Amino acid sequence: MRGFRVWGLVPAWSLMLGTLMVPLIIVAMVSVADRGTYGGFDWAFNLLSYREILFSEDWDGNLAFDPKYLGIIGRTLLLATATTAICMILSLPVAYVIATRSPRMKALLIYLVTLPFWVSMIVRVYAWLIILGNDGIVGRFWHWIGGEGTLLFTPGAMLVGMVYSYIPLMVLPVFAAIEKLDPALLEAGADLYASRWTTARRVILPLTWPGLAAGAVLVFVPALGTVLEPMLLGGGKQMMMGTLIQTQFGGGRNWPFGAAVALVLLAMVVIVLVLNARRAMHRETRA
Amino acid sequence: MRKKITLGTALALALALPAYAEGTLNLYTWSDSIAPELIEKFEAETGIDVNVDGFNSNEDALTKLQAGSSGYDIVTPSQHFVKIMIDEGLLENINAMELAAYAQVDEKWKRQWWDPTNGYSIPLAYGTAGFAVNRDVYEGPIDSWATYFTPPEELKGKVASLSYPDEVVGAAQLFLGVPFCSEDKAEMKKVYDLLMAQKPDVAAYSSDNIENRLGTGEVGAHFWWDGNVLRNRNDGANLAYAMPKEGLVGWLDSFVVPKGAENVEAAKQFIDFMSTEENATIQYNYYAHSSPVKLDLEKAKYTPENAPELFPTVPVEFSKACSPAAQDLVTKVWTDLLQ
Repeated sequence: MRGFRVWGLVPAWSLMLGTLMVPLIIVAMVSVADRGTYGGFDWAFNLLSYREILFSEDWDGNLAFDPKYLGIIGRTLLLATATTAICMILSLPVAYVIATRSPRMKALLIYLVTLPFWVSMIVRVYAWLIILGNDGIVGRFWHWIGGEGTLLFTPGAMLVGMVYSYIPLMVLPVFAAIEKLDPALLEAGADLYASRWTTARRVILPLTWPGLAAGAVLVFVPALGTVLEPMLLGGGKQMMMGTLIQTQFGGGRNWPFGAAVALVLLAMVVIVLVLNARRAMHRETRA
Repeated sequence: MRKKITLGTALALALALPAYAEGTLNLYTWSDSIAPELIEKFEAETGIDVNVDGFNSNEDALTKLQAGSSGYDIVTPSQHFVKIMIDEGLLENINAMELAAYAQVDEKWKRQWWDPTNGYSIPLAYGTAGFAVNRDVYEGPIDSWATYFTPPEELKGKVASLSYPDEVVGAAQLFLGVPFCSEDKAEMKKVYDLLMAQKPDVAAYSSDNIENRLGTGEVGAHFWWDGNVLRNRNDGANLAYAMPKEGLVGWLDSFVVPKGAENVEAAKQFIDFMSTEENATIQYNYYAHSSPVKLDLEKAKYTPENAPELFPTVPVEFSKACSPAAQDLVTKVWTDLLQ
């Protein structure tokens, strides 16, 4: 039995090693390699790519501190944070309504929430292109109420697309947390003269916090690496980290720099995950 | 009786097998660039299964080949990328000049700088990159890149560009009189300044979904290719392709075979197939870009009268393969622009 415990995990470990760790190590090695003339790379060890994140040559050929990549990183963080926050605010009431329905209705509503996952991401984003476009429902309504220009290619359009894409990932864990909520606790709150707002704030929110935190990680992490929504709905006017990485591996022909930016992105994801894990551990030791 | 049937089946199978033994041919071409009718015809004639994947930029194609074992038997990059791929050792020397297809190629496209010995490539289509306007949005003159880079009132906020710099920077260089692949920082700074001044009037930098964006009037001017404008105009869109006096950016796409391709013979067969007079004409009528191989002029759909897009009246300058220093400046222009 004990042998199986060790050997039984071999497939899982080899999968982890072969499809996650090894590629990651390769990316790390590329990030310190010399760039090839027309893309590609030659094995070497230099930290030029990392220096380039902070310092680059200006138009006069001087190496100077250049915050442009920090700006891109900051913008990406901002977009991911905004997406997460909006998803949180919207998913609480949605999850609450679902959790308080009859079991049959509950199953149906949950099914509806997950329905978009059956459709490819690109198709879903294109759907928004049509909806927000000049001939789309929302676009027409916008012009009917006297709006000017197009709704597409704005930060708002991009955010709508992001929230739409990622909100199921928030609704599901929040729903699970609310469903586990003991109605007796709400009644106890009411018995102790707590207003509905106080009950929500002091009872519901703390008890559903683990669900919100899990949802936040599930939304924030993929939102950091997003490429589609900024390109198609946002009009690609300002780069995100995803587009920056893509540019460096493509037209920029600077794979080591692309790999370095990818590792910075990964580091940010790891920080989020570690913070979340520490919070969960903290909670367990307290309980 | 039973035995006979088995024997018969085995015989039929054995006879059928050679057709299938040819295997599959994997194409990596510009999206929607090969006439589906011809793919079906080729499959029916040879028994080879054909898979087609699409790309939307030369950079995508190059990156895929550099990453190794792409699994493709044919790719169709533009001239400057053919040169880079040959220099980087990414292509198979298929002795293209000995293919039947080579005899069909127009003399002016033979022995060009990107493949001087004609070992690697057979041209498939050529044309220009420029800009188109939606005539419902903008009725003014389109005889200069000035309309695009310094848009008039009707086009402010309604211009769209591509999501990568390759041909856009080229067009800006034509407008400013800066040579392609310039390594001069001061000159490239001028290109950057021009694009930066244009940016507030640009609605989107996107190479996808151009036909919808421009066709619906979402934007009034879009960076685009000659044949695409022609096709959409024929589908009813109120478009016009500009003939800027400063010139258009030229491109020529060729069939090439990546190094290590599994089905080189089938690839050659396909190239020959696509280059026969009959098939090249079908392809021309479908793709609506100019053809570098001989056509059946009786059946060819497009003439200078009904397809002015394909017969430029202004100088055409072909994109070059830039040195790394020049390419870095192009990338710098672009990342600084979209930072």
